[in-house]
Amino acid sequence: MKFRLLNLAAALMLILGFTACGSRKPVLRIYNWAEYLSDEVIEAFEKEFNCRVIVDVFDSNEAMYAKLKAGGGGYDIVVPSSYQVVRMAREGMLLELDHSQLPNLVHLDPIAVKFTQDPEHRYSVPYLITSAVIGYRADRMDTGPDSWAVFADASLRGRMTLLNDQRETLGAALKFLGFSLNTVNPEEINAARDLLIEWKANLAKFESEQFKNGLMSAEFLVVHGYSSDLLQAMEEDENISIALPKEGLSIALDDLVILADAPNPQLAHAFINFMHRPEVAAENMEWVMAMSPNLPAYALLDDAFKADERIFFSEEIFAKSETIFDLGENDQLYINAWNEVKTAP
Amino acid sequence: MKADPVRRERLVEVFLTAPGFVWLLLFFLLPTFNVLLISFRPSTLTGGIGEGWTLDTLQQLRNPDYPGILFRTLWVSLAITVSCLLLSVPVAYFLARCSQRWKTRLLLLIMIPFLTNFIIRVFAWKVILHPEGWLASVLAFAGLIPPGTQLLYNVRAVILVSVYTYLPFALLPVYAVAEKFDFALMEAAMDLGCNRIQAFFRVFVPGISRGLWTATLLVLIPNLGAYVVPDIVGGHSSSMLGNVIVRRLFSDRNLPHAAGLSSVLTVLVLLPMIVVILHRRRREAH
Repeated sequence: MKFRLLNLAAALMLILGFTACGSRKPVLRIYNWAEYLSDEVIEAFEKEFNCRVIVDVFDSNEAMYAKLKAGGGGYDIVVPSSYQVVRMAREGMLLELDHSQLPNLVHLDPIAVKFTQDPEHRYSVPYLITSAVIGYRADRMDTGPDSWAVFADASLRGRMTLLNDQRETLGAALKFLGFSLNTVNPEEINAARDLLIEWKANLAKFESEQFKNGLMSAEFLVVHGYSSDLLQAMEEDENISIALPKEGLSIALDDLVILADAPNPQLAHAFINFMHRPEVAAENMEWVMAMSPNLPAYALLDDAFKADERIFFSEEIFAKSETIFDLGENDQLYINAWNEVKTAP
Repeated sequence: MKADPVRRERLVEVFLTAPGFVWLLLFFLLPTFNVLLISFRPSTLTGGIGEGWTLDTLQQLRNPDYPGILFRTLWVSLAITVSCLLLSVPVAYFLARCSQRWKTRLLLLIMIPFLTNFIIRVFAWKVILHPEGWLASVLAFAGLIPPGTQLLYNVRAVILVSVYTYLPFALLPVYAVAEKFDFALMEAAMDLGCNRIQAFFRVFVPGISRGLWTATLLVLIPNLGAYVVPDIVGGHSSSMLGNVIVRRLFSDRNLPHAAGLSSVLTVLVLLPMIVVILHRRRREAH
């Protein structure tokens, strides 16, 4: 009896072992922002490279970094903003890229170099360019906002949100005050902090995930959010509009990087190269509603899409906008200011 | 060579309790101790834990904002616990006096929401408390609030939603004791001159005190460490200790500071347990 049971167990294990082997395709794990990669592009990649793609999402560079730093993950590809790339590279978290596996880098639009601290693409390849803008319900407001000053409007009390993101949100206040969003002058940062504490009284909350849903259900009337998310919301709901604040905005370049301990670096290289095929880049741009710095892809886009200055920013907007950069030791100034904003009554 | 029966019994006892004890040691006591140790390590700006030992975190915990957050964590948790108890006592009394058929049906109704995911139940409240939802419309129509008032994202919303999610944790232990309560005692009290209300408070409530204490622990302790509910329905001025720990960890990358706050939370959670254990000891000694 005992012998028979053992046999049965062995047979079961064999069967299980075989079936597991049979379905074992290579897996590519991506850690990305929410709704920041076209489903069709994922499917096409899975088909062509006979693999499975698993996507997990984060809602801020800081949260992503903390999770990876604590040993979480097993991811191959991560999509940090360019300022976070510097920090991750310095910490030895990133794999040096093998350019021989990335022939499509020739398609890169040189404009992308303006937004990165890694212009030689040693660790990172530009993915998409977005910005943090103001989204609002056009059906509930007589005139749309044109300035960050809208967050001082007490008549919208409890119906507005700012991003729950220390650099973006302090950056919006710094822009409004006419300072650089990379300032390391403590007085300027403190002025931004005090302004945010004033604005806070009018906010429902600091929110980086639900601003899109909240705007669509009219729970929030004015939100600070990422342009790609808000443009996606506009497609679904015609009552939603976007304003580019006149004081200027923060334009972010998000990069594709491979982690130093990626389980599948070869497939990860293939993925980065795939994303810069012009037709894939164009398809992904139209799905995410953000600009991929890929020159030949522009020709494949719809004219109306190309003319949209919320996606392809005009010279005028570029001139007054900035990109968040890594500030090394001086980050502590922002961390302290942000904590004071968050705990202020 | 005959085995000493007392010693043998001891040995069996040790073997029986060993798995549970080892489990607690490995997965509870050691990690908690480790968290305490980390809070005495220096932090690095890159989110790591530095070498050596320091009292920096202890110094930082004297942040002038923390007493306020600690106080809010305490009073919100207590308000949730007291509300849950106030609601569960009459319900448990009613349930215990129901016929067996109704008991089963009503208990089922209490359990069914549990089948729905916790996050979804919390999100459902965002629909109910929507500033243009039916509840806000009714309240505005009655003239109680101005139209378009945000009902969410404040401490009241946190308490309301927490009471909703934790009510079964209070109700079930209270009911379990109430069901065994001998209702003849209440009749006896009334024979001796109590009215119905006096009998309820002077005989029934003390009679189910064991269930009340269990319910207090089950509701108070998780709420002291609450993170999800204040994060979803709370606003910028209703963060609790759990939310601050998360921010220290994710947004500041300061592990020792987060560990220090977690240790404070551990002490905070242990206190009510010690109180309840001492109370039980004293009662058993009587």
